[in-house]
Amino acid sequence: MPDQKLPSAWKRAIDRVALWSRINSPWLVHFNSGSCNGCDIEILATLAPRWDLERFGVKLWGSPRHADVLVCTGPVTRLARERLVRVYEQMPSPKFVVAIGSCGITGGAFHGCYNIVGDIGDVIPVDVYVPGCPPRPEAIIDGVVQLLTKLKPPRTSRARAAGGAG
Amino acid sequence: MSTTEFSRIQEAVGTLAACSTTSESRMDLRADADHLLQAVTSFRALNWGYLSAITGLDGGPAPTDGHIGILYHFCQGPAVVTFRVEVPRDHAVVPSISAVVPSAPLFERELSEMLGVEVQGLPAGKRQFLSDDWPPGVYPLRKDFSPESAVPVARSAPVIGSEEAPGTFIVPIGPQHPALKEPGHFEFAVDGEIITGASVRLGYVHRGIEKGAEDRSWVQALYLVERICGICSHIHATAYTLGVEALAGMTVPPRAQAIRTIICELERVHSHLLWLGVAAHEAGFDTLFMFSWRDRETVMDLLESVTGNRVNYSVNLLGGVKCDIDAAAADAIRRGVDYLQERTRHYLKIVTTDESFLRRTRGVGAISREMSERYGTVGPTARASGVTTDLRKAAPYAAYGQFPVEPVFSQACDQEARFVVRVKELFECYRVLREILDHLPGGDLAIPAPRKVPEGEAISRVEAPRGELFYYLRSTGGVKPDRVKVRTPSLCNWAAVVNVVVGQKLADIPVILAGIDPCFSCNDRSFTLRRRGRTGGSGHGSASAETWSWEELRAYGIRYYGGGR
Amino acid sequence: MDVLLAVVALLIFPGGLFVIAASLAYEYVDRKLVARFQNRLGPRWFQPLADFIKLLVKEEIVPDGVNRGLFNGLPLAALAGALTAALYVPMAGLAPSWGFRGDLVAAVYLLMMMTLCIGLAGANTQDRFSLVGAVRALTQLFSYEAPFLLALLGPAIAAGSWRISEVNGYAREHLWMIVTQPLGFVVALIGLMGKLELPPFDAPEAETEIVSGALTEYSGRGLAFFRLGRDIELLIGLTLISAFYLGGLGNPLAFLAKTLALLAVTAALQSLFARLRIDQTVGLWWKAGAVLALVQLLVLIALKFAGVQL
Repeated sequence: MPDQKLPSAWKRAIDRVALWSRINSPWLVHFNSGSCNGCDIEILATLAPRWDLERFGVKLWGSPRHADVLVCTGPVTRLARERLVRVYEQMPSPKFVVAIGSCGITGGAFHGCYNIVGDIGDVIPVDVYVPGCPPRPEAIIDGVVQLLTKLKPPRTSRARAAGGAG
Repeated sequence: MSTTEFSRIQEAVGTLAACSTTSESRMDLRADADHLLQAVTSFRALNWGYLSAITGLDGGPAPTDGHIGILYHFCQGPAVVTFRVEVPRDHAVVPSISAVVPSAPLFERELSEMLGVEVQGLPAGKRQFLSDDWPPGVYPLRKDFSPESAVPVARSAPVIGSEEAPGTFIVPIGPQHPALKEPGHFEFAVDGEIITGASVRLGYVHRGIEKGAEDRSWVQALYLVERICGICSHIHATAYTLGVEALAGMTVPPRAQAIRTIICELERVHSHLLWLGVAAHEAGFDTLFMFSWRDRETVMDLLESVTGNRVNYSVNLLGGVKCDIDAAAADAIRRGVDYLQERTRHYLKIVTTDESFLRRTRGVGAISREMSERYGTVGPTARASGVTTDLRKAAPYAAYGQFPVEPVFSQACDQEARFVVRVKELFECYRVLREILDHLPGGDLAIPAPRKVPEGEAISRVEAPRGELFYYLRSTGGVKPDRVKVRTPSLCNWAAVVNVVVGQKLADIPVILAGIDPCFSCNDRSFTLRRRGRTGGSGHGSASAETWSWEELRAYGIRYYGGGR
Repeated sequence: MDVLLAVVALLIFPGGLFVIAASLAYEYVDRKLVARFQNRLGPRWFQPLADFIKLLVKEEIVPDGVNRGLFNGLPLAALAGALTAALYVPMAGLAPSWGFRGDLVAAVYLLMMMTLCIGLAGANTQDRFSLVGAVRALTQLFSYEAPFLLALLGPAIAAGSWRISEVNGYAREHLWMIVTQPLGFVVALIGLMGKLELPPFDAPEAETEIVSGALTEYSGRGLAFFRLGRDIELLIGLTLISAFYLGGLGNPLAFLAKTLALLAVTAALQSLFARLRIDQTVGLWWKAGAVLALVQLLVLIALKFAGVQL
């Protein structure tokens, strides 16, 4: 993790290149935590020719080990909860989470049902929420793009920066 | 249901059950738990119909009703024969009917998990619907259930291998934390390449919708059931509204029924094209996936322009529809259908003539007609095995009486047949769409619905893209439903496939599972493989359990057959 | 001065950096072509570079129970093997800088090292160094590496030399060997695609367990090096096949034209599932093809012995 010395010019340059590469090569892993599939098929649709997310360097992998961004749908049912945590833990840093669909924000239409958690952010840290039931592919792409453009530095150094120079 | 049929059944059941008819197509047979099995056996000897669903009703704790009702719904065409058993809440015990009705176990397990009914003689198995850390003795569908009582308990280690013969299995060597290695959605026991046993674990998408509906008004519950499945949202809404309208005695205007039917068929088109792409992807043919999903956008655009949403269209109201189809929209639909028909001809050619495709599908995953009926498969999966049930013809609803549909069957019973049946069904969809558009009845779009729905119960059965969808609705005269029971077609097919994969090859599993058209999210599941020992085999000793992800299984199948894009 | 030139040739052009850059470029062309076949736009030109850098700066999770030295070393070894092999082929159409007698054999061995490293990496990342990973790698070797080697031997026999630059020169002066040894060409191309596990030629026989491959255990630097190694192998393979079978590579223009043409063919094979009639028993056909290539080889040797000018 970054040390406390002021970054040299070299380090700054490397960081910028690293950030550029992360923004331009976001590899996704998709996880369904109990959704009705509406959001999932819209996510798949973004890979289809009409939207073609590979244009932005987005690739959908099966294994969390290869992914930078976890795209999660659904209101997190009890059975899915533990799997979700495990998938998140298997992802190497730096990693981000995009919650797709209203279910992942408040439980959506299932708000109040006994077998769900609701907010994905209660289970794993979420960087971007994309509301909709389901959100259009354009909205999903917008969500991923917003994540990329607002890429934050790694959490630990951000906390230090906030405490230090501000 | 004719009087002869009625007397036949009454005669067969004799004194074991009290018969009554509640409408011209509904017959109730009341039995007590001790005579149930006998009554059902005598009934089954008539070979009438199939078990479509088992509904559990909680009458509520004393001093209200104090009983739990269990309804066994057998259906044939539009007629429904329901065995009704009542048991006291504190001693809810019924015998299992799975010896007579092989498709019953999954329904009975749902009954026991959700309502706490002890089903004696139910074959041993894993929990299916509730999570492994669900506390025992807490039953969500009982009226006195409170979510706070569902405190997670320490889970017991998953029971693996107890039913296997010694020598075929060894406790898995794996990561340090056994809890991290999940029990797996499917478990397969394999001997070399051949599956020798399989079991399924559901419950990942269990959200508690049936309970949630009891907490919402009749209108709010409509929006809830629409989201049971995003792919077939409208058919759920249709089944629900038809049931409520039957309860309330409403006659929906013909234009509304016709529009409902148009959206039903458009949804079937989108669902089948979606499935075609996903199934091709499972077999490794990504190019076909890309092309079919590109074409699917045509029907998505049509649905969006008529209803305002690509998914979860929300067209239905209680009493009609909210969206109209004017001349311009009708023309757009016609043009879209023409384009899709052309493309579908191309897909039919691929599915029936492409060598590399046929290698994955012809003769693969055969389910005989007899097996199909025995284990209760529904929908195109069943029709591909020659089972002649399509509710749009057998029990027409909405506008299907006025615009009949010719069901598509095949006798080939294999994976290729499942592809062909669905692709050919698309042509039938296009034909019916054109016909309805050409003869769209005029009139109102909706009639007002009462806030309180009169007391009673209704059964609504419709043909979803995946098969028969069964709804049971019960009202106690209030603003909220007393009971909404949903039996999805995939539930029937999951149960069936677990029985039919035995003897198939491991590399064929992704394609077989894709062939029953499960909901897409089911492809996120993982599997546990138990291998019979071989030297130099799994590398974990003479036998082991490995957990594969769906992706790995899919890749395995692709490479086994020499892969394709 | 000589030393300086040598270092430049080794590290920058036409070795080292040039090879890396060219491989990334070829990966782009491959992905773009496949996307176009699938009716999509496809990635941007710098995509493979972005992927590579991103993986370099990503956290590498080392699974428990593996030999750390092997885990970190194998990707490096694979990459080193690939880069070294690049020194012996007519990269960019220029004469190989470090050619020597027998360098064809050396190059093929170095290319095989990649497969071996991946197989070993897979074996390593399981709970113990089991036989399975090695078995899988060996199967891969026999299924595709060996025929690939045989197919390269054919032109070598015809040219009467084990030196790549001489075979290249021979190919430039004679009729394209895709015409005189068509079977060899097909076997070489398919062997290359099988080596690199490009669909639809990535099927070892059913016996092996094809669960998680080696690469699913790597997440950062190791994955980056393996992927780059694969790209370099693609480039080298295309270079060798076009040098031997498509009339030799004499200048950069010929290099570009011929290797890109071959790349287009492999991209097409990856995407057009319906057109290519791989019949029922692709495995059997493959074995038959390899055997026939061997036969062709023997015939060539015999003819050479008999003094017939080829």
